[in-house]
Amino acid sequence: MFLELQQIKKHFGEGDSRVDVLNGIDLKLEKGEFCVMLGPSGSGKSTLLNIVGGIDRASEGSILIAGERTEQMNDKQLTQYRRNHLGYVFQMYNLIPNLTVQENIEVGAYLSDKPLPLEDLMKTLGLYEHRKKLPNQLSGGQQQRCAIGRAIVKNPDILLCDEPTGALDYKTSKEILKLIETVNQKYGNTVLMVTHNDAIRLMADRMLRLRDGMIREDVRNTAKITAEELEW
Amino acid sequence: MKKKNPLRKRILREISGDKGKYLVIFILMIATISFISGYLVADGSMIAAYNESFTKYNVEDGHFITEEPLEKSARKRIEKEGVTLYNLPYVEKKSGNNFKVRIFAMRDKVNRACLMNGNFPQNADEIAIDRMFADNNHLEVGDSIKLDEKNYRISGYVALSDYSALFENSNDSMFDAIKFGVGVVDEKTFKTLTKKNKVYCYSWCWEKASANEKEENKRAEDLMKVINDQTELSDFVPRQQNQAIQFTGEDLGNDRAMMTVLFYIIMVIMAFVFALTTSNTIEKEAGVIGTLKASGFTNAELIGHYLVAPILVTLISALIGNILGYTLLKEVCVDMYYGSYSLPTYVTIWNGEAFILTTLVPILLMILINLIILSRKMRLSPLQFLRRELSRSKKKKAVSLSPGIPFFSRFRLRVLLQNRFHYAVLFLGILISYMLLLFGMMLPSIMDHYQNQIHENMFCKYQYLAKMPPSLSGEDFSVDKLLKYMRFSEGVETNNSSAEKFSAYTLETYKTDAMKEEILFYGIEPDSKYVPLKLTDEDVYVSSAYAEKFELEIGDTIRLKEKYEDTVYKFKVTGIWDYDTGLYVFMTRKHLNQTFDLGSDMFGGYFSDEKLMDLNEKYIGSILDEDALSKICRQLKVSMGELMYLVDGFAMLIFVVMIYLLSKTIIEKNAQSISMAKILGYSGTEIARLYILPTSIMVLLSMLVALPINTEAITVIWHTMLRQKMKGWLPVWLDTGVFVKMLILGIVAYGVVAIIELSKIKKVPMDLALKNVE
Repeated sequence: MFLELQQIKKHFGEGDSRVDVLNGIDLKLEKGEFCVMLGPSGSGKSTLLNIVGGIDRASEGSILIAGERTEQMNDKQLTQYRRNHLGYVFQMYNLIPNLTVQENIEVGAYLSDKPLPLEDLMKTLGLYEHRKKLPNQLSGGQQQRCAIGRAIVKNPDILLCDEPTGALDYKTSKEILKLIETVNQKYGNTVLMVTHNDAIRLMADRMLRLRDGMIREDVRNTAKITAEELEW
Repeated sequence: MKKKNPLRKRILREISGDKGKYLVIFILMIATISFISGYLVADGSMIAAYNESFTKYNVEDGHFITEEPLEKSARKRIEKEGVTLYNLPYVEKKSGNNFKVRIFAMRDKVNRACLMNGNFPQNADEIAIDRMFADNNHLEVGDSIKLDEKNYRISGYVALSDYSALFENSNDSMFDAIKFGVGVVDEKTFKTLTKKNKVYCYSWCWEKASANEKEENKRAEDLMKVINDQTELSDFVPRQQNQAIQFTGEDLGNDRAMMTVLFYIIMVIMAFVFALTTSNTIEKEAGVIGTLKASGFTNAELIGHYLVAPILVTLISALIGNILGYTLLKEVCVDMYYGSYSLPTYVTIWNGEAFILTTLVPILLMILINLIILSRKMRLSPLQFLRRELSRSKKKKAVSLSPGIPFFSRFRLRVLLQNRFHYAVLFLGILISYMLLLFGMMLPSIMDHYQNQIHENMFCKYQYLAKMPPSLSGEDFSVDKLLKYMRFSEGVETNNSSAEKFSAYTLETYKTDAMKEEILFYGIEPDSKYVPLKLTDEDVYVSSAYAEKFELEIGDTIRLKEKYEDTVYKFKVTGIWDYDTGLYVFMTRKHLNQTFDLGSDMFGGYFSDEKLMDLNEKYIGSILDEDALSKICRQLKVSMGELMYLVDGFAMLIFVVMIYLLSKTIIEKNAQSISMAKILGYSGTEIARLYILPTSIMVLLSMLVALPINTEAITVIWHTMLRQKMKGWLPVWLDTGVFVKMLILGIVAYGVVAIIELSKIKKVPMDLALKNVE
């Protein structure tokens, strides 16, 4: 098993103001698996993603990734863990405004000992022609592709995507989903994606539905379709 | 091979992308570093030139003046004391009432002259004069100068190695390079000048140097006795007591500590300004930093990245500053030294310490302060950055403001509270720049006040101080000595009814925190018509200047000693007389004569409202009139005038840069709110009232608060400086005009910045608020 979560619980505040966000999550993910997390706002899906990503800590429970336990890691070890294993894509692209497309991707490559070939990746991302442009010269979709490039260039074990299409239109969203699908297939990274878009479950290997901090539905997709075929 | 962080590529783009900010930072840092570097290099080079001058120009170990030329036998006897004697006679010539020039023949063995410009005199009627004296009196090489009805052509400028400070007499409290100068003529011309009023001056050099100052004093004392036996001495000045030689050496390098501290303060403030602007950038880039941290960038990598710009800017400023310091600013600082002292030519000396001080120290300060602030900031978690929760304290509650306060005022108060740290740094910047400005502007005020005080405090128009020839000192009573004494007594008697005798005695301060200083004791008549003090024979009054400088109060005991002896006197202060322009002790003449065992008839000079024409000039040590007492003001105005303008300009530069950078940062920080206010329909004027007015209020408040704080601080600094580094006392006096000028300058400078900021507000795009909404 590549990623294993056991009884993950998370709460904010204490006493009367205590809010339980995650109430005991158990989850196992295989290497290369594409998993989509769905659920209403406040269901705990982003919190769970952040805990897996090592940028938030669980109140209880344990996480095992590629044989490493994260709950006992200090901040430095967590940073190293993120560096070695994770790639992050957010709804906001958060690109560095005064670096070109290529340089923004190089920022991700810097973190890895064995980064993916830059030119090949940029071609895969459809950004090769735009590599010398600054982010403000790109469309929203191109910027998100660049953000994915920055996350994927270090060839992470897991690609964590938090609403990667949340700020994009239908056509651009589909392009981004196709890209994530390609990356998953080409480089074999495990993908854990948080989304509000129910249709995306159809292109994933697995769908988790969260409500009130618990996994209410865990479905393996036997009739997987391509991103190209998706419609919503 | 270690990979290079691609973030480094941002640095230059970041700098070129915010040209305005970095330009003013560069200007201020380069100006500061170049000035300090120039000052330190000039200081070091001038000190070296001064120290070298002793051997290079063979400066005397002392000189004495005799009534008559030395006989050959006397000369031989004196030289048996292990000295080589050199004839250095001179004459003094006046140019109307303007100035006096002491003229020597060209010197080739001792106290040699350094040619600064033009040529040494080679022809009859040519003279080479002191460079600084020439500058002060606007005399050029080639000009004609009329001295005692005779015209001379100025062949060149010189610096005489025994007159690096133009003291006419070694007892003067300050030199006067405006009204007193020195010059050299060729041997032939000199002979024509010395038919009358020739002063027989002899310099001596020890054949073997003394081991220490004590031995030097002892040898000088013994030498004086031998000379006294051989001839009639009228003056005897060992080198340690010759202010014309020593004063410059004691003063050079004196401002070093103050300059260095000032430099550090400015660098610390600049480091804070940098840290603030970087903090602003971090807030602006919170999302990017959150993503980078989430991707695995370490704190060290990110802190290192944000440290590069301040280090780079400091490094470049230090390099350019040092280049300018070694070239342009060194010349400016050297000119300031040459404006005060008659120093010889110099060679620029590489000053490693100056380089370290102006390069390494600012970089270290920049790293340290930015590191502390950046480390605090970067300690936040990636999630906090992603959510833009950048306050370290958890969910701070908003300060409650009464709804009764009008909306605009409440809004402004929020802006003030939100930017309180910026305003604290702004206040610090204004405090420092105002301190400098006050320092630059107060000197003329102090000088003018002092000049007025001299006029008001003068208890008579002329004070004649008698000078007893050194040959009359000692306890042996030969017939020859008695005759000389009688001649002296006759020479100092006057029939002028305006004259009133007083006794005088000089002691030296003893074991105080301040530098050693001579205190003049006046013994006055109980019913003196000049000094309005009703003294009993037990009273010891001190002047208010003395009391202030040495922090004395009535009832305190003062301890003073004989200058070259160990005898210590104690006096209990019974009163303080309001007299600001001299360090004096007043007692009755009888009391003074008894205290110092002078004999009841002894007196030291006269107070008079009229010139005393019947005194023998030979026995007049000095005449103190308003002109003589104003010497210190005159010289300080000339020596420090240029520096003060420089300080004023520099202070205004810091002032403008601080306000510009910090108000810019505040506007940038609020750019999104400004953008949103525009969308909501607020007009430009209304937005300016919200965002510029709080800064205007803070600037004005800072200026008003800084004034009294600085007045107190500068008084302490000025008095400490006077106590430790200067003789005499110049009380701090600040005209209301100084404060008004400072406020006007501050308001005008801020006005310029406010206009720039107003245009910045206008340029904030409306879509900014929409773009960054998550």
